[in-house]
Amino acid sequence: MSVLSKLGKIDYRWLYITSLILTAIPLVYPIGLSVTLSQPVKDYYSAIQDLPEGSVIAVSFGGSASLLDEQEAQFLATWKTIFSLGHKVLFYSTTEDGPMILQDHLGDKVKPEDYGYTYGEDYVELGFSPLGEPGEASFAANIRGVYAADKYGTPLDDLPMMVDINDYSGIDLLMFQYTACTSIEWVVRQWSVPYQTKVIATTLGCCGPMAAPYYPSQIEGFLSGSGAGTELEVLSGNPGPGAAMSDSKSIGILPQLVFIAFGNIAYFANKYMKKEDDQ
Amino acid sequence: MAGIMELLGMALGTFLIFSTLSMLYKDNVFFRVGQMAVMGSSIAHFILYNMKNVYNNAWTPLMNGDIMMIIPLILGLLMYTRLRRSTAWLARYPSSVLVGIGTGVMVAGTVSGQILDQIAVTMTDVLNWNTSGGSLINAIIIAVGVVTSITFFVFTKEHTGVVGKSASIGRKFLMISLGANWSGELVWYLTQLVGRLMYIKNFVTALMGG
Repeated sequence: MSVLSKLGKIDYRWLYITSLILTAIPLVYPIGLSVTLSQPVKDYYSAIQDLPEGSVIAVSFGGSASLLDEQEAQFLATWKTIFSLGHKVLFYSTTEDGPMILQDHLGDKVKPEDYGYTYGEDYVELGFSPLGEPGEASFAANIRGVYAADKYGTPLDDLPMMVDINDYSGIDLLMFQYTACTSIEWVVRQWSVPYQTKVIATTLGCCGPMAAPYYPSQIEGFLSGSGAGTELEVLSGNPGPGAAMSDSKSIGILPQLVFIAFGNIAYFANKYMKKEDDQ
Repeated sequence: MAGIMELLGMALGTFLIFSTLSMLYKDNVFFRVGQMAVMGSSIAHFILYNMKNVYNNAWTPLMNGDIMMIIPLILGLLMYTRLRRSTAWLARYPSSVLVGIGTGVMVAGTVSGQILDQIAVTMTDVLNWNTSGGSLINAIIIAVGVVTSITFFVFTKEHTGVVGKSASIGRKFLMISLGANWSGELVWYLTQLVGRLMYIKNFVTALMGG
């Protein structure tokens, strides 16, 4: 068997074990590789930063427990950025896990009260509703039609922050957080197009290419994957889980790149040699 | 310092992580136990949250006199008729309503936001005299990519001549696009692995009193 044939038939478990080892090393011995800031992340940050103090940001929260490793850096850096700028925040969860994750974040990791926030006056949590696209459309048209009360059962009219917020017109920026790649289309169709609402988005790394066509014309900026979360941490000066992950991802990806290269070389070389033999 | 309950929770989480990763070697009983535990708890969580949602948004208003809420409740219940073959046809009604509303809500925004606006932004930079240098090259690549990729999906004309050439170039663009998607997916999986390794590291640190 030739060297190339052997390369093409390496047991895939070697890939797993080398990836595992190389990923684990930087967690124990951090390397501190530099982070390059991308334009969509800079624009995402600017969209929040450029709002006048006290502006209302609606967060369509699509956090998922099973995807949290990919999302958490984005979330925590975003909450810290918003709270430090003094914007009002209206959270509504579109996933079943959303309220649980928000409870962990706002109740423990980034407490709004530490930034001088008061519940009901500066931020409100509306809880979970399985909105989907029609739900987003209804929410934009009439918030009380979807949520009559907040997640604690308090009628929205009894919350000082909500007195003047009835629909899209009371919202200065929509932050759309989602995990199903095509969901970005919902926000374009139901917020950007009919109301020209300013929109920013956060999503998984694999969904970034599907969000890109809408940037910067319909969404002002977006975070794609934990790498973008790390960038936001650096940009906003709020270190978090993304920074700790960054080295491991950069090193852990190396064996995969090597295996992809070897696999392709072996494939094409075998194909070429077969052709030669046939002739 | 972590309490005993927190340590127990972290130990269970670590066990489930190792159970899941053991599949990389081969299928085994620990993997199946871990898989079923995660699926079972997730499904229970989802069912409870959605039941609560129906209770809050439909049942409670109905009990308070909002009689219109009977409509979504009945439509929702009709979904369960598909559990019996003889009544399964009734489930078509709520499905039709869902499809109808979904399509209606979607159409207006699609034409404007995803067709007209996207065509406009694709061509604006190419046709703008002020675009130069890297931006112009980017704009041209995007425009060529869009046009040739669309040609790839033209099935009413045989892919020969100019159309064939264009479709062939479009195919390359599509492959690059799928590659970009896949690389994002690869990094995502790696992120999940890093996250779980960090969890294990935190557990070991907590176990040692850190």
